[in-house]
Amino acid sequence: MSTASQKPLELILARNLMSALSTPAFLVDEGGLLVFYNEAAGVLLGKQWEALGTVGPEEWGSLFGPFDQNGEPLPYDDLPLVRAVRDDRPAHAEFEIRSTDGEQHRVEASAFPIQTAHGSRGAIAVFWPVAANGAGA
Amino acid sequence: MKVKLWGTRGSVPSPGPETIRYGGNTSCVGVTLSDGSLLALDAGTGIRNLGLSLPDKPSRLHILLTHLHLDHIQGLVFFAPCFRPQTEIVIWGPASPEASLRDRIARYISAPLSPIEVRELPCDVSFRHTPESEWEIGPARIRAASVAHRGPTLGYRIEDGADSLAYIPDHEPALGADLDALEDEWISGFGLAQGASMLIHDGQYADAEYPDHLGWGHSSLSHALSFARRTDVGRTVLFHHDPLHSDEQLDRLSEEARERWVADGGASEEIELGAEGAELDVRAPAPSSAVAG
Repeated sequence: MSTASQKPLELILARNLMSALSTPAFLVDEGGLLVFYNEAAGVLLGKQWEALGTVGPEEWGSLFGPFDQNGEPLPYDDLPLVRAVRDDRPAHAEFEIRSTDGEQHRVEASAFPIQTAHGSRGAIAVFWPVAANGAGA
Repeated sequence: MKVKLWGTRGSVPSPGPETIRYGGNTSCVGVTLSDGSLLALDAGTGIRNLGLSLPDKPSRLHILLTHLHLDHIQGLVFFAPCFRPQTEIVIWGPASPEASLRDRIARYISAPLSPIEVRELPCDVSFRHTPESEWEIGPARIRAASVAHRGPTLGYRIEDGADSLAYIPDHEPALGADLDALEDEWISGFGLAQGASMLIHDGQYADAEYPDHLGWGHSSLSHALSFARRTDVGRTVLFHHDPLHSDEQLDRLSEEARERWVADGGASEEIELGAEGAELDVRAPAPSSAVAG
């Protein structure tokens, strides 16, 4: 059959839900490719999804960090979204990201895999900005 | 490939003088393949009449279920071939993490909802989860994919030679999404319907009714038209009529659908509301029949 490729329904529905949220949220496919983030995430990063386009795993890290509390880049394999896809289990971390205007934001991130009857389809992560005193913003 | 619409109604059977022309039986479409063999799409109450039309002789039948809501399986225990020992029936449907297809269907074909149990059916019946990849039944190549509806729900694409039929009777692709703005790959059901000779698609609600049914799993007329236009299908049959819609209301909806389709650059014969008993040819669209947009 010669029809165009289509995202799995679970990713489509996840994107639709994320689009309606004011919590920054990110979506990767089963290969770890970032396929969408919502407007709230765009505000956090200083760049909306439509202006960015599809970004591979390594590019993502170089664009926005993330960094540990000492300003050192976090290993790619330690990121919650990467761990969720790789290990097929939820993952959580706290780190800093850098927006396009150079400002750094401390966030907590929780990611969980999207499981279906046909296996994993990817993962979704929500970022929660952390205030300077450590409380959720 | 030819189709016959044995049941076009959604949600619940709606017999009565006000639904005579479009019909009151729930979802069932018979598909006659190029070798003369038959597929049944869904097993709503319309499958009862389909069963009565079949000769009483040894045969193998395939029933492709989109999902297990009652309006898509209610006719199973009234399908005459189920009671013929010489008949083999293969029922395909969506997998669920909760229970097998057989066990989920058995909740309906069992006490107290049914006088018989699945194991008591005289025919040789088997249940199969649809595979992720394409498979073949006779001369047809078939693909199933999950679509936006409540609960595990499939749409089907059936190709036989150059002809292709997309069947997505329960579908809300515009839930939380703007169909006119999304990229193709982010539209539920797009890969099933793209360029199909014929699309049989959910058109349950008039636009004014949709806001009160947001998230119920069905399309408004606008959504169905947008989906058909985006997928560039040859012919669209709107289906799964709301049980509250009379023939007169459906006539008005049909007229509106044609007017809007033509206004968007399509031909009036490319869109219609499905009527029970209608027999339609599924033919590959001529190049000039594609709708711009």
